[in-house]
Amino acid sequence: MKTLIIGLASIILVGLITGMFVYENRDEVKLPQYQIDTEEPENNPNATTQTEPQQEDLWPVDGEEISYSLQNEELHITYDKGKSWVTVPVEKDKLFAGEYNGNKQSLIDTSYILTEKRAAFLYAEGANWESQTVGIVYSEDQGKTWEETIVTDSFPALRYRKVDFLNDQFAYVILSGGRTMSQEGTQPYLSNDGGKTWTQTNTPETTRLVSDGAFINEKTGFLSYGTINPEQPDLYITEDAGESWEMASFQMPKKYEAVFVTAEMPVKEEDHLAVLVNQGPNGDYLGGKVKGKFISKDNGKTWEFSEEVQPSEEQ
Amino acid sequence: MKNNKGRKVFGWSLLLIALGFFCLQMGSLFVQARFDASYIDDRLFYILNMIIVICLVLSIWLLLKPAKKITISLTIIFALFVIANGVLLVNRMEDTKNILSVSPNWQHVLSIKQDVQTKEAVYYRSYYGILARPKERLPYEMDGEYQVEWLAKDVAAFTYKATDQSIQQFIATYGDRGSGTSYYYVGGQTHGVWQAKDTKVINDQEGISITHNGETEVFDWDHIEQFGTLAIVLKRNNEATWTIALKENFEVHSDASRETVGNIALYKASLKESEPILLNYQGEKE
Repeated sequence: MKTLIIGLASIILVGLITGMFVYENRDEVKLPQYQIDTEEPENNPNATTQTEPQQEDLWPVDGEEISYSLQNEELHITYDKGKSWVTVPVEKDKLFAGEYNGNKQSLIDTSYILTEKRAAFLYAEGANWESQTVGIVYSEDQGKTWEETIVTDSFPALRYRKVDFLNDQFAYVILSGGRTMSQEGTQPYLSNDGGKTWTQTNTPETTRLVSDGAFINEKTGFLSYGTINPEQPDLYITEDAGESWEMASFQMPKKYEAVFVTAEMPVKEEDHLAVLVNQGPNGDYLGGKVKGKFISKDNGKTWEFSEEVQPSEEQ
Repeated sequence: MKNNKGRKVFGWSLLLIALGFFCLQMGSLFVQARFDASYIDDRLFYILNMIIVICLVLSIWLLLKPAKKITISLTIIFALFVIANGVLLVNRMEDTKNILSVSPNWQHVLSIKQDVQTKEAVYYRSYYGILARPKERLPYEMDGEYQVEWLAKDVAAFTYKATDQSIQQFIATYGDRGSGTSYYYVGGQTHGVWQAKDTKVINDQEGISITHNGETEVFDWDHIEQFGTLAIVLKRNNEATWTIALKENFEVHSDASRETVGNIALYKASLKESEPILLNYQGEKE
């Protein structure tokens, strides 16, 4: 027993004294970035490999042939299901600038185009949150060359953002921002030269939050408002490329009043336009997923109810 | 007889305590070297050493009842060890100033270490309670005076005087009010009008205006700095003036249609003791 206690005590004492030497002579713990700053690459050939974060293998975000990846804090695109990659010359954070609440694992749905013919990504930059530059970085040769174009050099914190090309020449961008609770500004921009230059259009007289917007041709465009407690569709239409806007009127059957409240984007069907009107964020009619389909024969100015659409029937 | 048993139990307990702390100390040293960490407070190392040695000498004395001569020589060895640790502790305190504050719910520790000579201060993030790793350097060198106030159980406001005599604030945040997977702007989330007894905060597109005791100050967005995802510091002339922190009950919504739920705390950046003001949401600006 005595030996055990003395043995233990000796080990502890020796351990503590050694520990004291180690503790006194250890290097001071430094901030990670400080270590990088002070290392001279010339004197340390391994500096680059030591300080660079581990690069992980890229994989397409959705497993598609034409896809992208946001791994390693960069945007890469692939045209062959991830066998080869091209880095998009834009900082990842700029793709999510403004009022974004997501995990930055995938791009904001409507903020980019990635097709065989065209890759285009909306971004915003600038230190001043209330006045940022919004631009597009795009490539028409699958990422071999890239160009940048400014859509607007002053836009407040982006909330909604959408870019689309209808053909080689005509493209539109719809931005909203500067949200103060339930009010914000919404601004469409049009390009007739394949995205090289952009012109700001007029806007409807409303500061409600935009829910969607689109142009279906060079002249006709729509903006749908009402993401907060909407009570009826609030759809605006322009037939002169955004020069003037008027509110579309819906002939809403009494049964569906205050049920179908948020218009989605109209699409061309045979000789008329069709639009689905959903139930908004609080809808609970038949489970909340059923939408109302409306038809317009006057290019979107007036809409007549056509049928209820079950979620599975959506085109 | 009974006395003897008690003495033995006590002796063994002390030996076990010494052994336990010794293992902890050695384990921590290994982890510190391996993961580039340090004790959350540099003084802990020496204090633990002293506790171990004192427990050890007492347990030997209680369990082995050594002869007088041996007792004296053992006591001298251990006393020298304790004194050496004491001297090193004082030395360390002259080199590094440790600032520690434990959150009201005992879940987080604010740890700031200042190099006394260069006056540079570094904020440490704690791991497993007693270990910490440096997170970031405070932007201003510290003059010495400071004040720590926990604005929520996971938001600590560290107010300090910089060497240029300005008042600065560093906010340590330990968590998130959203889903934890995304970044959000505290300024954007706290839009609207907030009110307490004699204090009103209006947060709109232009910035934040604070009316306190009849005086109104306006801060535009260029003079508002966010810390983590829980607090913002409002600055004037490069000095911190107010802090706004989200309270525990504040719910972050990406969806603007949801109502603002929860409180915010307004705290004056001052080296004097001041109480955070709890504000209630009043609605959107008319």
